[in-house]
Amino acid sequence: MNTGRGELLTARDADDALERLHALGCTDGLPVVVPTPEKVARMVLASGLDADLELGEVGPAGGVATVEKVAVAAVMAGCLPDHMPVVVAVMRAVCQPAFDLGELQATTHCIAPLIIVNGPARTRCGGFASGFGVMGPGHRANASVGRTLRLAMINLGGARPGESDMALHGSPAKFTFCIAEDEESSPFPPLHTTFGAEADDSAVTVIGVEGPHSTIFTGDVDDPASPGALLDTLAAVIANRGSNNVYLGGRAAVVVVLNPDHAEVFRRAGIDRRTVQRELAARAVMPRTLLARSSAKLLFGDEDLVPAVRDPANLHVLVAGGPGLYSMVMPSWGAGPHGNVAVHQRIELDQFCELPVR
Amino acid sequence: MTAKFQAQGDFVARASGMSAIPRAVVPHPVAGIGAAAMRALATDLVPVLVRRLREG
Repeated sequence: MNTGRGELLTARDADDALERLHALGCTDGLPVVVPTPEKVARMVLASGLDADLELGEVGPAGGVATVEKVAVAAVMAGCLPDHMPVVVAVMRAVCQPAFDLGELQATTHCIAPLIIVNGPARTRCGGFASGFGVMGPGHRANASVGRTLRLAMINLGGARPGESDMALHGSPAKFTFCIAEDEESSPFPPLHTTFGAEADDSAVTVIGVEGPHSTIFTGDVDDPASPGALLDTLAAVIANRGSNNVYLGGRAAVVVVLNPDHAEVFRRAGIDRRTVQRELAARAVMPRTLLARSSAKLLFGDEDLVPAVRDPANLHVLVAGGPGLYSMVMPSWGAGPHGNVAVHQRIELDQFCELPVR
Repeated sequence: MTAKFQAQGDFVARASGMSAIPRAVVPHPVAGIGAAAMRALATDLVPVLVRRLREG
């Protein structure tokens, strides 16, 4: 299934088809929607692109991601045709060399691709959730698009546990990890504008990260130290004795998803995103002497205080989730030839074909 | 590669179109086994690798 058109399998019925897909190792362990030619053709049609158009190569096996093969994954994942523009953008993004997809798939770390959707596509492409439970179950677009990527990584990239995907424990985030930014609740410009997009463009940002680390914080409007305390709390989750980021040179992207109430702490204090990034980078440090007691052989550099993120621009701060006590920090792997950085891709909405409702 | 990662080594060889490439498999783990064990492993392994590299 690595080159050319996909092999057409046959089965007695839908149940038999599903069992064959499981037996072939084509699923993520959960039932999939059987990708019949009719369903796949409909998905390809919705993309507005040629079925044979190559979106990129999926490492480590190097399978070619044609629109048709990606459509197969999208059907299996449970996508609607409306989701296809985002799916296409995601595949283009992860196939960029800077994403190091092959290395990301192969590492023993639990890294998983986090997809962040921005712009009008959040509503025009099937309704991507950005509020309560944004990282959890219950949101079809989020769940399906994230799962499409995983199924493509399995079937085109050849990533299977213990054979080519060597993550020691894996992660629930490897099933699906896709969110939309709550741009309307954010005091900051939308995330994709930090990469040069216009606010009314649609784009995806994809970053290899760990699953979400919950970060509790109770702010106080009467306490002028609240913003600093929130920064320190977030920084402590980014940089700790078990964190790859501090050991492996501080090159990688880290994601901070503020809930709207935590974002409000910064807004009230007049703190913009750049300041949050700069302050987090400065505060997310660990004493070298302490790190050396855990994994001295992994340490880079010679600073007394080792930073988890050397470049503040690699701290990606956005707003999503329900309001309350918790924000989420996603540290990362920190390795790979390009250093585990974010990649971005415009979502092309003009090519999308709306299909008649059946 | 260590024994626990032999499957991955075989996969990478196949994916790279080099299924027949010779590979050395050592007991797992190698990281963290201590200087003495690492030295013993290297003492045993390096001559084998050099000989295979010279033989082509």
